[in-house]
Amino acid sequence: MTSSTLVGDLAFGLGGIHAWAMATAAVIAASCALVGTLLVVRRMSLVGDAISHAVLPGIAVAVLAGGRPGGPLVFLGAVAAAMLTVWLTQGLRAAGGLTEDAGAGVVFTTLFAIGVVLVGLAPPGTHLDAACVLYGELAFLPFDTISIAGQPVPRAFVAGATVLAGLVAAAVATWKLQVFTAFDPAGARMAGIPVVGVTTGLLAATAVATVASFDAVGAVLVVAMLVAPAAAAELLTRRLHRMVVVAMALGAVAACVGYLAAWRLHTSAAGMIAVVLGLEYAAAAVLAPDDGLAARLIGRVRLAWRVAREDRLATVWRAEEAGNRAAARPQTPHEAVVVRWLEFTGHLLRDGSSWRLSPAGRREAENVVRSHRLWEAWLGRHADLPLDHLHPPAEWVEHHLGAEMRERLEADMDERAADPHGREIPPEA
Amino acid sequence: MTAAAGILAHNTVVVALGVAAVGFAAGVVGSLCVLRKRALAGDAAAHATLVGVAGAFLATGRRDLATLLAGALVAACAGLGMLVLVRRFTRTRDDAATALVIGVSFGLGITLVSGLPAWGYANSAGLEQFLLGHTAALTARDAWLLAAVAAVAVAAVAAILKEATLVAFDAAFAAATGWPVSGIDYLIVGLVALMVVAGLPAVGAVLVTALVVIPPVAARFWTDRVGTMVVLSGLIGLAAAAVGVAASAARPGLATGPLVVIAAAGAFAVSFLCAPHRGWIARRAEAARGLTVRRGDDEGEAGR
Repeated sequence: MTSSTLVGDLAFGLGGIHAWAMATAAVIAASCALVGTLLVVRRMSLVGDAISHAVLPGIAVAVLAGGRPGGPLVFLGAVAAAMLTVWLTQGLRAAGGLTEDAGAGVVFTTLFAIGVVLVGLAPPGTHLDAACVLYGELAFLPFDTISIAGQPVPRAFVAGATVLAGLVAAAVATWKLQVFTAFDPAGARMAGIPVVGVTTGLLAATAVATVASFDAVGAVLVVAMLVAPAAAAELLTRRLHRMVVVAMALGAVAACVGYLAAWRLHTSAAGMIAVVLGLEYAAAAVLAPDDGLAARLIGRVRLAWRVAREDRLATVWRAEEAGNRAAARPQTPHEAVVVRWLEFTGHLLRDGSSWRLSPAGRREAENVVRSHRLWEAWLGRHADLPLDHLHPPAEWVEHHLGAEMRERLEADMDERAADPHGREIPPEA
Repeated sequence: MTAAAGILAHNTVVVALGVAAVGFAAGVVGSLCVLRKRALAGDAAAHATLVGVAGAFLATGRRDLATLLAGALVAACAGLGMLVLVRRFTRTRDDAATALVIGVSFGLGITLVSGLPAWGYANSAGLEQFLLGHTAALTARDAWLLAAVAAVAVAAVAAILKEATLVAFDAAFAAATGWPVSGIDYLIVGLVALMVVAGLPAVGAVLVTALVVIPPVAARFWTDRVGTMVVLSGLIGLAAAAVGVAASAARPGLATGPLVVIAAAGAFAVSFLCAPHRGWIARRAEAARGLTVRRGDDEGEAGR
């Protein structure tokens, strides 16, 4: 399929099948990301996983009792199943002494198994089968429409948008309670906040978001929509309100991109949305501005390079101090590269078979040597270390002392002094 | 009875025995995992297996069980490897990292399995049976393969039981006395991955975690001795697997996995209620007689 037909189909599809499917997936993903952010910061990601599995029997019972998928009875059944999961897990911990993950492992697998068997028992034509449980059927949802202001609108989109609006309203209304409870539960309890109620509300919200997603992506993949955008957003920002917005945006984008990719590749939209969410997380892990892998790697390389430059300049300075010009020659290929660079930037000047410092190189070298010797002097006065133990820490710290720190170290010394080895400390350049 | 029916029945019995052996081994391996308080360690591996099943089919074009399970084992280890990488190189916390690997790897697996028919692999039908487990399609050869894997896992647990017990109950002491704690942990998680893969044909990727969690947790109610718990957990796993396979043979429309899990959950419910001393009824009776319920004594013990 060529890209021109893709564009044509999209243009045709505004108000059509693909646009509605993407819009539905986007509101669902945004709902999940909103709830998931609070789960992730509260370290309850696996509770979200457990609930997303455990709502299945609630949905199945509601459908068997005559509820229609996406209808109020189904939401009620799912929330009840979620509460049952949490109650059973906590009950097993209190009455049976099970650890939380073991209890959850027993409860959600059992409830999911019961749900699958119930779905298997459902009469044909109830819009509920094993494939739907696992994959969802996003591509078919736009065909089930209701009429709003004379326009046919997919029922799933209406349900998803309603859920999203409700969850956003609830989050805005209880935001301070949620944040307080998430980061300081003990303090929140002392301040009179109903911590149990806030947590229960979050779990109910998880169940509601899961049910809204169930028809589109199935029960198992909801965990990706809950956790992945929040985990990615957490790497990108450290402010909770920004994290929520970023997570919702990442979820909505992944829903649209995943849907289109699945349509092009003729595969499951739900699976592809989860894959795109995974790629978004991977991109955030690598490219996050502050502590992404790339930023950390670049930071380390730059530090290593600066240390190598400064060490080389200081070595040449010491060689000139000792009058031993041969010592200024690089000894290893790595040092030779550094010397070439310093020559290129004008810090070192070639002098026959060796090198000497230019005025700019001398200024920088003197500050490094000054840092080194001041630190040795300070350690010698205060740390009670033998002479031969002063060099290694100074060799490390010489690259990290600024002018202000050097001034304070100098003020700490009693006379205009030499370092503990008796060598002169150069003045600030 | 015709000869064909006889062979069919024979096949069913052999498959049931093979799956029961896997149930036993999963219970045994799961005991170590639950005692080490890593009950859900296998879940990330379990959800990743689907990628391996589809990948092995794509790479080799074959769909015999050994090939598919080899792919599943590679993918399970890759999933656990991703988990280690996320923990090592990002500040994402353990729970989110686990949920992330579960969701994304399962999504990739679903994408591959759903896409295969449209990508021209017409004979890929049947791979989706690894989602919820389906024993009807297994042959006697497959059952022998599963039994062999189970035997290897049980032998491995027998070999490291003492060291694993030490690590589970007092990791700090084990490390201080020179035992390679992280090596033993990796070995336990590796065995869990192996049992998750072996449990795949019968229980399916979504629920196979239950096979390594529920039997040990149930067995813990009956005993305070590790050796007894390991064997009992294996027997519960064996019984659950056998009952599940038999039930699914009686109702061919139902996937095997949920039935195995429900059977195991039944054993758990009985253990939780009826076990002497630790069971709910026994503790209620003890409390009613005015005796102290021993709760504080259990502090510091490995997980139950």
